[in-house]
Amino acid sequence: MRSLFCSCLLLAAVLLAVPSVRADEPVKIGVMAPVTGDWASEGQDMVKVVEILAAEVNASGGINGVPVEIEVADDGGTPKTAALAAQKLVTSGVIAVVGTYGSSVTEASQDIYDEAGVIQVATGSTKISLTGKGLPRFFRTCPRDDEQAKVLAANVQKLGFSKVALVHDNTSYAKGLAEETREIFKNSGITEVYYDAINPADRDFTVSLTRIKAADPDVIVFTGYYPQVSLILRQKRDLDFDVPIIGGDATNNTALIENAGKEAASGYMFVSPPALADMNTESAKNLMATFQSKHNAQPSSVWAVLAGDAFLVLVEAMKAAGPDPEKMTEWLKTSLTDYQGLSGPIAFDEHGDRIGEVYRLYEVSADGVFVLQ
Amino acid sequence: MPDFEFFLQQLSNGLTRGSIYALIALGYTMVYGVMKLINFAHGELFALGAYLGYTLLVVFGLGGSLGPPLAIGLSIIMVVGLVSLAGYLLERVAYRPLRSSDRLAAVVSALGASIFLQNAIMLQWGAQYRAFGADLLPNVVFHIGGFNLPLVRVLVFVAAVAVMAALHVFVHRTRLGLAIRAAAIDQGAAKLMGVDVQKVIILVFIIGPALGGLAGLLVGVYYGQINFNMGQLYGLKAFTAAIVGGIGNITGAMVGGLLLGLLEALGEGYISVIWKDAITFLVLILILVFRPTGLLKERVAEKL
Amino acid sequence: MSFASASRRKSFGSALTVAAVFVFACLPFLLGHLAGSSAPYWLDVLNTVGLYAILALSLNIILGHAGLFHMGHAAFFAVGAYVSAILNLTFDWPIMATIPAAALAAGLLAGLVAWPVVHLSGDYLLIVTIGIVEIVRIALTNDIFGLTGGPNGLVGISRPEIMGFRLTRPQHFFYLIWGLVAVSVLLFDWLERSRFGRALKYIREDVVAAESMGVNTNKYKILAFVIGAAWAGLAGTVYASRMRTISPESFNFTESVFLFIIVILGGRGNQKGVLLGSFLVMGLPEIFRGFENKRLLVFGAALVIMMIFRPGGLLPARSPGYKLPEPYRSRYKRLPDLSSGGVFNGAGSRANGPNASASEGFASGQAAAPSSGSGESSDSSKVISVDVGQDLVK
Repeated sequence: MRSLFCSCLLLAAVLLAVPSVRADEPVKIGVMAPVTGDWASEGQDMVKVVEILAAEVNASGGINGVPVEIEVADDGGTPKTAALAAQKLVTSGVIAVVGTYGSSVTEASQDIYDEAGVIQVATGSTKISLTGKGLPRFFRTCPRDDEQAKVLAANVQKLGFSKVALVHDNTSYAKGLAEETREIFKNSGITEVYYDAINPADRDFTVSLTRIKAADPDVIVFTGYYPQVSLILRQKRDLDFDVPIIGGDATNNTALIENAGKEAASGYMFVSPPALADMNTESAKNLMATFQSKHNAQPSSVWAVLAGDAFLVLVEAMKAAGPDPEKMTEWLKTSLTDYQGLSGPIAFDEHGDRIGEVYRLYEVSADGVFVLQ
Repeated sequence: MPDFEFFLQQLSNGLTRGSIYALIALGYTMVYGVMKLINFAHGELFALGAYLGYTLLVVFGLGGSLGPPLAIGLSIIMVVGLVSLAGYLLERVAYRPLRSSDRLAAVVSALGASIFLQNAIMLQWGAQYRAFGADLLPNVVFHIGGFNLPLVRVLVFVAAVAVMAALHVFVHRTRLGLAIRAAAIDQGAAKLMGVDVQKVIILVFIIGPALGGLAGLLVGVYYGQINFNMGQLYGLKAFTAAIVGGIGNITGAMVGGLLLGLLEALGEGYISVIWKDAITFLVLILILVFRPTGLLKERVAEKL
Repeated sequence: MSFASASRRKSFGSALTVAAVFVFACLPFLLGHLAGSSAPYWLDVLNTVGLYAILALSLNIILGHAGLFHMGHAAFFAVGAYVSAILNLTFDWPIMATIPAAALAAGLLAGLVAWPVVHLSGDYLLIVTIGIVEIVRIALTNDIFGLTGGPNGLVGISRPEIMGFRLTRPQHFFYLIWGLVAVSVLLFDWLERSRFGRALKYIREDVVAAESMGVNTNKYKILAFVIGAAWAGLAGTVYASRMRTISPESFNFTESVFLFIIVILGGRGNQKGVLLGSFLVMGLPEIFRGFENKRLLVFGAALVIMMIFRPGGLLPARSPGYKLPEPYRSRYKRLPDLSSGGVFNGAGSRANGPNASASEGFASGQAAAPSSGSGESSDSSKVISVDVGQDLVK
């Protein structure tokens, strides 16, 4: 027993004596995305877009001559996996991270990046409180929910609706947006005749729809995601319930038309950052073309493109301030003013929120195209 | 909307949902009856049915080229065949090596197979939601007062009930059905009476997944939208239905499925949408507290 | 096996354990050199493994020792985490001080829900426990009592502080979590040997026999639930303080399933097995990160394969009953092993032939005939149970 103990000590001593080796490496940027799990389709597109852009950066000589390397970590769309993914990225030596999609998932990773001094640029996490925490190196390329609620409510008012049924899906994002919108409605003379959630795991929303029908609204405001709104549109048609629906940015996904069918989808409206087809920037068009030729498809939502934007501003910051998180942060908050990203001009305020009007109103046309209003 | 019409609407919602739960529940209950194994991968076979239907109807475009009735008929046959094959393979690979082992070993193997299949579906068909195409079936809606009844809903319900009736006849009126029932009661005794238990096991692993695959196809056609992890929720609900009906009991699975669908629809319509699943589970737990072996299973003395 | 060689083997075993514990305790330092900069990540993986080990060890009492099919352990984990978070955020309790409250709340809930349902058998109990975890998750999502924060969950939970030292880094949590794992192992080991532990085993092996021996089976089953749940509540506190943010989706049905898999895969009733299971089930998906979006596919296949090759779990439980005093061991060893004889094997799933031989290798210094522990008992172990069952008679 004693000899065993001694050999253990010896082993420990040997291991402690081994020096850790570090070579000069290309600069690393992490991508934290839900590659598996419920939001896998968003996550996989996020990774694809960033990979394409990184290849382009490297093809044109890298960042100040240093190549950039992408380190992908799957957050599985759950907070627990995200904490590990963040830890993995931090320890693999990334200086900045792109991602992630879900707000609660981002939340679980924020502290880890903050403590490690790594920049995080979230891409789909619109929950308001993410930026109010005083985390200096946290940014996001997506707008905040209160911004969206304002645009949503303004459009409801502008279109002349007065009796509103407000429906969310009891997820962190959709409920937050619904509550924000509800507050604005209260102060603007719009009557709320129905307020409830649906269960996003369900496929059958006819029960909720019959209840909404009984409340007789002018318009349904739905703050959830595209798969559910597709089903709602179809089932609303089947019930002969003729009422317009207006939705939030999580329904901005071309799969909506396919899933609901052109007939049921036509007339559906939503507010969102510009859809892919309306991103007129040269860089966006190039990206679409490369994506199409490489993956034989289009990125299905705007969130993957916002991940691309996050990557691009990080590259810009690195070019200007060098691969140092502190200097990059400083630069992003003060000197990034006139940068043309994929989704339009990008700038950040002192909290790390994106500045500028990004929301637009869209309507689905009769032949199934998202038309900018 | 008048109260009675509202009630009718929820009733029809509940029956359609319930008939789909019942179809899936039958797969759980048949396998359980003979093998005493909870086939946790059954939900994934259901999803596989939906995706195979998608491939046939949308990717290969059968829906457009053959016309809806023929296309759906043909795809039902092919989906049922292919999912049965998958069920057979599943039994062969993941369960047969464990047949003489601890029951819980097979449960974990089933859970592993479920994780594997779900991710295989994701890798094969992608993580996006897939659409069946809205206009596969003509959009006919019957109006009875303020009560709306889409044709698709009627068809789904009729198809599910017809299949269940056929299964009932098969199990209770044919020799093979007799063999299944015998093996469910006591495998050893059935063997002694000359029943080829091995054959019966393969049979239930063909019929169960076939029903699950059919349910998947019906969900695809009816709701028009499928995703790779759809099997998880439907599987869990159908499994609950099977247990509450009295697992191993075929009529019990049908009753359990319909009951679950109705409970959900009425809970959602009259109490609360967001508490619906909690209410449903609570009622089901209460049923089990007072009828510890489910609704229809005979109370048997505990085996010693 | 002679007395001398048995004792030498035993001392060798405990030396090995001491060595393993020692090396493990040094891991934060070793990893720093072995894994370089990725050490904190691997430590965090180990912390996750440790947390699930605590949970799985507590589930092992219910599922492994009492043999109750329980697939809803995440519910008790959730209650612990939420109670701690609420006390910490709303009432400003230090997070470590909330442990008793978290454990108490989880245990209380377990007692309340277990009381009407423990009489259910096997799979019926399984669905009830699944129902409970779903009900808890839905209640948390719907912001029950206005305390749980709804789908957002609770944010900004304090880091734990032990005697003025704030735990922030992975290596700090490593010692907290694995310290608790060690405490769990010792506690549950002691429980296993206690009157309570033996009662659970009789219940698992044969409820009717236990009942007829005068063991109040329902009381012991409920107690098993309460103890297991209370310990899961404690793990909830640790989880809440480590993540600092909790939300309902962290405690869903899938979590329960993973805990269930850990216990069965590792070898239910065997603490070493459960620890190994935690490493595999929580560690493999991390190791498989290289497969990117195929990692869970590979993990699923690995589960099936491991179960096929080790149907009794990777480290099957020790034989039921208890360790006989030395002088009796060799005598009972010679009893014919009826369970693997074939004659008594029931049909299909009730047989335990291959299992018995698998567990024999592990149980070789012990007395009773091996059994798969699936509610099936070999005749020789029943004989032994009779001797020791007496002290449980009330």
